[in-house]
Amino acid sequence: MKRTFLLEIVMIAVAVAFLFPVYALVSLSLKDPAQISQSPLALPDPPTFANFAEAWTAAALGPSLVNSTVITVVSLVALIALGSFASYFLARVRTRLGYGLYVLFLLGIVLPFQLGMIPLYQLVNDLGLIGTHAGMILFYTGIQLPFTVFLYTGFIRALPREYAAAAQIDGASHLVAFTRVVFPLLRPITGTVLILNAVFIWNDFFTPLVYLGGSGYETVPVSVFAFVGQYVSQHGLVFAGLVLGAVPIVLVFLALQRYVIKGFASGLKG
Amino acid sequence: MTPVTAHRARPARASRRRFSVTSPPWLFAAPALVVYAVVVLYPAVSGVVYAFTDWSGIGEDMSFVGLAQFRTLLGDEQALGSIVNTLLLTVAIVVVQNAVGLLLALGVHVRLRSRALLRVVFFAPVVVSPVMVAFLWKYLYNPDPSSGLNGLLGVRVDWLGDPSVALWSIAGMVIWQNAGYSMVIFLAGLEGVPPELHEAAKIDGAGTWQRFRFVTWPLLAPALTINLMLSTIGGLKLFDQVFAATNGGPGYATETLSTVLYKQAFVFGKFGYSTAIALVLALFVAAVSLVQVYYLRSREVTA
Amino acid sequence: MTDLLHDARVSRGQFLRMMGGLGAAAFATACSTRPQTSTPSGGGQATTELKFIGVSDQKTPMDQLVAAYRQAKPAVRITASYAPTDQVQTSVRTQLGAGNAPDLHVVYPGSGSAMSMSQIAEAGLLADLSAQAWTRTIPEGFRPAFQLDGKTYIYSAGSSVIGAVYNKKAFEQAGVEAPPTTWSEFLSVCDRLKKAGVVPIALGAQTPWVTQLITYALVPSTVYAKDPSFDDKQLAGQASFAQSGWREAMEMYLELQKRGFFNDNPNGTTFEQQTSMVATGKAAMAVQVSAVLPDFRKAASTPDDLSMFPVPGADDAAGVWIPAGVVVGLGAGAKGANVEEAKAFIDFLGKQENINAWAKAIAAIPLVQDAASTIDPAVESFLPFTKDRAVPFMDQRWPNAEVQPVHFAVIQELLAGESTIDEALRKMDEAYQK
Repeated sequence: MKRTFLLEIVMIAVAVAFLFPVYALVSLSLKDPAQISQSPLALPDPPTFANFAEAWTAAALGPSLVNSTVITVVSLVALIALGSFASYFLARVRTRLGYGLYVLFLLGIVLPFQLGMIPLYQLVNDLGLIGTHAGMILFYTGIQLPFTVFLYTGFIRALPREYAAAAQIDGASHLVAFTRVVFPLLRPITGTVLILNAVFIWNDFFTPLVYLGGSGYETVPVSVFAFVGQYVSQHGLVFAGLVLGAVPIVLVFLALQRYVIKGFASGLKG
Repeated sequence: MTPVTAHRARPARASRRRFSVTSPPWLFAAPALVVYAVVVLYPAVSGVVYAFTDWSGIGEDMSFVGLAQFRTLLGDEQALGSIVNTLLLTVAIVVVQNAVGLLLALGVHVRLRSRALLRVVFFAPVVVSPVMVAFLWKYLYNPDPSSGLNGLLGVRVDWLGDPSVALWSIAGMVIWQNAGYSMVIFLAGLEGVPPELHEAAKIDGAGTWQRFRFVTWPLLAPALTINLMLSTIGGLKLFDQVFAATNGGPGYATETLSTVLYKQAFVFGKFGYSTAIALVLALFVAAVSLVQVYYLRSREVTA
Repeated sequence: MTDLLHDARVSRGQFLRMMGGLGAAAFATACSTRPQTSTPSGGGQATTELKFIGVSDQKTPMDQLVAAYRQAKPAVRITASYAPTDQVQTSVRTQLGAGNAPDLHVVYPGSGSAMSMSQIAEAGLLADLSAQAWTRTIPEGFRPAFQLDGKTYIYSAGSSVIGAVYNKKAFEQAGVEAPPTTWSEFLSVCDRLKKAGVVPIALGAQTPWVTQLITYALVPSTVYAKDPSFDDKQLAGQASFAQSGWREAMEMYLELQKRGFFNDNPNGTTFEQQTSMVATGKAAMAVQVSAVLPDFRKAASTPDDLSMFPVPGADDAAGVWIPAGVVVGLGAGAKGANVEEAKAFIDFLGKQENINAWAKAIAAIPLVQDAASTIDPAVESFLPFTKDRAVPFMDQRWPNAEVQPVHFAVIQELLAGESTIDEALRKMDEAYQK
């Protein structure tokens, strides 16, 4: 008991140190330009919520949040569905070809995005998907699949084959064995896949700028960064927009943590 | 004591019998493969063609120049110098980020009262966009002795302005942002260690360190593999934070391969050359990752 | 094999269509195309949508003028996106490269950057604006920034100047009555400010583009006042950085550092920190572009304390020239579906009242002035120069986009004491000849 208490103290101290930059972020978002210039890191005195109000209206954050949410949620569903099935195959198949396919997927993590950037843009344009949610969803699903497959495959390999085998002996097909038995056991890594992909898609700035810029379907980062100029920047407003934009992701993470912990315990018993 | 094998954790019914079960059908991988081929493989393969041309990035003018761009690269001091920076940055990030991530994961895996909150705190930096993290840290890296980190720590460091310090300042910023990332993956690994194993080891009389060394550590292997690979690749390809924090400066002190290839493509209008650098970077990262995955996989506990 | 291919010129259009067609064919079955194109508006009149991508510095004037255009021409809707300079450069070049340019997009004046008028116009991607009335009023000295081979490809509302943004209170407290008009006066003013305990010049060289401003402020006097045709000679290979007044300008730059007139650690100090030092009176001045005035004022508790004066780069007041550069503008894509509508919008921007409105929003000097033009009082001291003692920002006449980043880097190296002026100018000359 005493050691747990000591550990708790230590961890809280580390957390405070970790939080300092976050404090700076929030504190900057609560200041007007003169306050930022005079004392960027002091406590906001008095705090102003004008940045938040302005970020909401001037940056049209409401519609942007909807766009970001649609794109992120649909991409995540596609990634988890396509990724987990493919990984189950890749982790279990014993042929050389199967291993080659796995390496082929890994190649996707390695490639610099600049390599295929222009042909991909051209392709999405030919498909008529520039300036649409569908175009972005297709992009994220493809671009994050290697990462998703990498995470899933690693964990499925560590999972005893016997779980699925037992189900199949009881007469279940591969499909049933995977969806009913294996997939629930993957909850901890599914949670990780979900949150890490969500963070990437939610924060990605460059691709939505290229694909959605000027379409009226801009995502949160695109709307917020419109206020960062070379000569004139509205940093308070930008920071406020980012704080608002980060809230949904933090909430998702919080919810997911509980789900993942509970999920695993019940998965083992089931 | 001998390492506890994963064997004990298996459900009794399954482990008693041995069946050879068929592999899942190809169809499981087909949809993913199609999307992946369309969005990643096909564009990358057609993009590679530019490495053998002198295309500026815009307009219709383009001629094939064979391997000329690769020859240019061999004599490009700036690009070659950036490789050293890239490697230093990668090593620092891989080592420190994963060490911190592992310690955080072990810390918040214990049933602390505040663990849900602590996890959110350590993960919080991950959700901020990398470009924004760089903006933010420029306030913290103010060289003025009375403000930012200098004021807080009572030191006088020219964090981003001193050419011999700037690279490490960027590493620090990246580690702060990504330690929570490693933590989450280690946590997923820790959640996968069945509590029964710890119980069994305790009964066998193992102490905390022994339980970590012989139970937790071997079973963390998949998470470790993933973390090491992702941070290595991330380090080698690191762009956003460097670009937003220093843009390669002061002078060329923090130029990485990614910033060089970006500048060639979009600032200097040498798209062909930039593609050649990208190709070399890709091959390099692929080689490092293959070695890593081969080595790390061989020490994973196979279930 | 590669030698055979060596001289094979291909049409990129064909190449891309071929590659794109391949991919599209493979994928056509899996994905349906977007049905919505242009939908008729309520009045039965077809609405044209124009896409604009610009830099954030254009947001204020564009928002204002897009709204005005909506009033004037309700059938045209302009959807605009803004982003930081580097990101816009990347995204627009990707779109240009893939042959899908927005109808209207940001263009930089002159030739020295990847998004500059010359480089994009040379690739045949900008619509010719020469037929528009406003283009005939472009002042002679600014034409190279707007035109390639006599044709106008970019709209810009005016020019901004580089000079010293200074805090009047800080000057008063140090007993400095009037801004200096010669280089030696400038040095002695700095000396007095320093003795009064204030940092004479705030320098935020961590932000790359800030590094160039002091050289840019001095070079008009050390180079162009002596030889107004320097650019042409340099383009012809008859002049170089190393063998010109550029050397003198670099020496003057470093003299300011040697005498301790800058803040400590300029290489680690950002533009934002520089702004804050002047706005709060910790530093007396900063050599900056007039376009930053709105930002400096927002950061100050009493905005009226801030003004500007030309940096005197010569010991003879009559030999002082100033840099005045055309501000970032926009152009119309040459190959879009709505070229005529896009050009019509630019024609609208070219009206005198709209030039005035744009210039006012960014504290610039309007391209052409009439009775209604307003000029920021802070830049009034520059007006006597703009007629015949002003030169465009140097990069606007540089032949490629590599010289400017090299200039940034060598200044940082010089400030860090890791290079010499000889070395720096040699690197710049090398980049110029690429």
